[in-house]
Amino acid sequence: MNANLAFPATVLLGGVAALDATPVAQTLLSQPLVTATLLGWIWGDWQTAFSVGVVLQILAASTLPVGSRTPEDYATGGVVGTGVALALAHGVQMQPWRDSAALAGVMTGLVAATTGVPLIRWQRRRNEGLSRWCEAELRAGRERSLGEANLAGAAMAFGIGVAYVALWLAVGSFGLRGLVEQESLRFSRAWTVLQPLWLGFGLAQLLSAFVQRRLTRAAVFGASLIGAWLTLVMGMP
Amino acid sequence: MARLDQSVFLRVAARANFLQATWNFERQQGVGWAYALQPVIEALYPDAAVRRERLAEHTAYFNTQPTLASLALGAAARLEEQRAAGTGPDAAAMGRIKGVLGSTLAALGDRLFWFSLRPFAAALGVLIALARPESAAGAIVLWSVYAVPHLALRFAGVGIGYHRGAGVLGGRLRDYLETAVTILAYAGCIVLGVAVAWSLAPGGEPRTIAVQSAVAGGLGVGLLSAQRARPSPTQWALGMGVLGILAAWQRLA
Repeated sequence: MNANLAFPATVLLGGVAALDATPVAQTLLSQPLVTATLLGWIWGDWQTAFSVGVVLQILAASTLPVGSRTPEDYATGGVVGTGVALALAHGVQMQPWRDSAALAGVMTGLVAATTGVPLIRWQRRRNEGLSRWCEAELRAGRERSLGEANLAGAAMAFGIGVAYVALWLAVGSFGLRGLVEQESLRFSRAWTVLQPLWLGFGLAQLLSAFVQRRLTRAAVFGASLIGAWLTLVMGMP
Repeated sequence: MARLDQSVFLRVAARANFLQATWNFERQQGVGWAYALQPVIEALYPDAAVRRERLAEHTAYFNTQPTLASLALGAAARLEEQRAAGTGPDAAAMGRIKGVLGSTLAALGDRLFWFSLRPFAAALGVLIALARPESAAGAIVLWSVYAVPHLALRFAGVGIGYHRGAGVLGGRLRDYLETAVTILAYAGCIVLGVAVAWSLAPGGEPRTIAVQSAVAGGLGVGLLSAQRARPSPTQWALGMGVLGILAAWQRLA
């Protein structure tokens, strides 16, 4: 897709991801691997989208929206990270530059996911006012206020998602372009180490969630690792 | 008094998708809950004043795991039906039952959906994406492994909750869901074992010692850091990123 169309499509996807994350449906459409796949198709660059999406996904998987805790916002962070990487790598064939763009994308995505937390908290405080308004309207006889309050909450989440992704996409893809271009060798070298480091880190976080200090589960993981390794390296028996 | 039927349950389930649209720190899912239950209230209370009073009551605090909320909505629909017939709980008792239902369903739902199915779907999706980076299979598997049971339970849950009533999680349903948690944990361990092996030797070709060391280092740091809630995994990842960039800078300076 033409970059002029890919930018607005990325921004709109940010709004959809912000909706799916909490306010509407919660189907995991907002997960970084899913949004990266869609962005890879939109921008016509699967390689960059996957390399960034897999890293952000494995880190997002151990971040859970339990109770009233506000977790890092990987819905918009995932779109920002992959979008920035795709924008920086757009039309470039040189591998160090592409790796450098991937690193810039992951780092921007992580920062955007972290700085998104106060924004979500702010949004939730605005929803408190919306709830009180809704109850008052109901008692005054307007039953439609329930639907209107929910629509307003969803519209606010979508609008904030769109604006937040647009802001980070502009900052990341234009602000980092010079750095990515000039320091592509350094960034590329860092990416070759950081990508497997992050992957191992994320896999360990997930493993810890599954094992929960139970020896049989740890043994199942160990047997699976050794079995898969032997099958991969030595071939099927 | 109108009886509740499948069309009402379907409307409740569809509206349950908006359960968290106005999630906030004060009432949490309260307004979303009242919106989802609105078709039930409309069917049961022809008197507008009573209907508004009931709806306003339901905007009070409620919170649970969003998928299993459908079971609570179904159970609440049954209680409202009894209430409309003059045999159900009063407003205060209804609030207490909702509170108990919410926390019971959250205790199981958080473990099943947030701590088991979601990480399992992510692990499987990442493994497939690593193995087949040129296709969308990883994302499709991740999405469908989670979304299919999530949406199925969201839509079927209202009817199940209605038929089982306030004791919806008693008996075999709880056993089934507990068994699913255990199976997913073991399946997750197997998938992660294969994912680690694949990241060390994709397609049977061992990667360089530097890359294998980085994977092993990440695993070590991940297992150690998972023992404490703070710093969060994202903060650890950011710290690693900054250190990695600084190290690369020093090396090429």
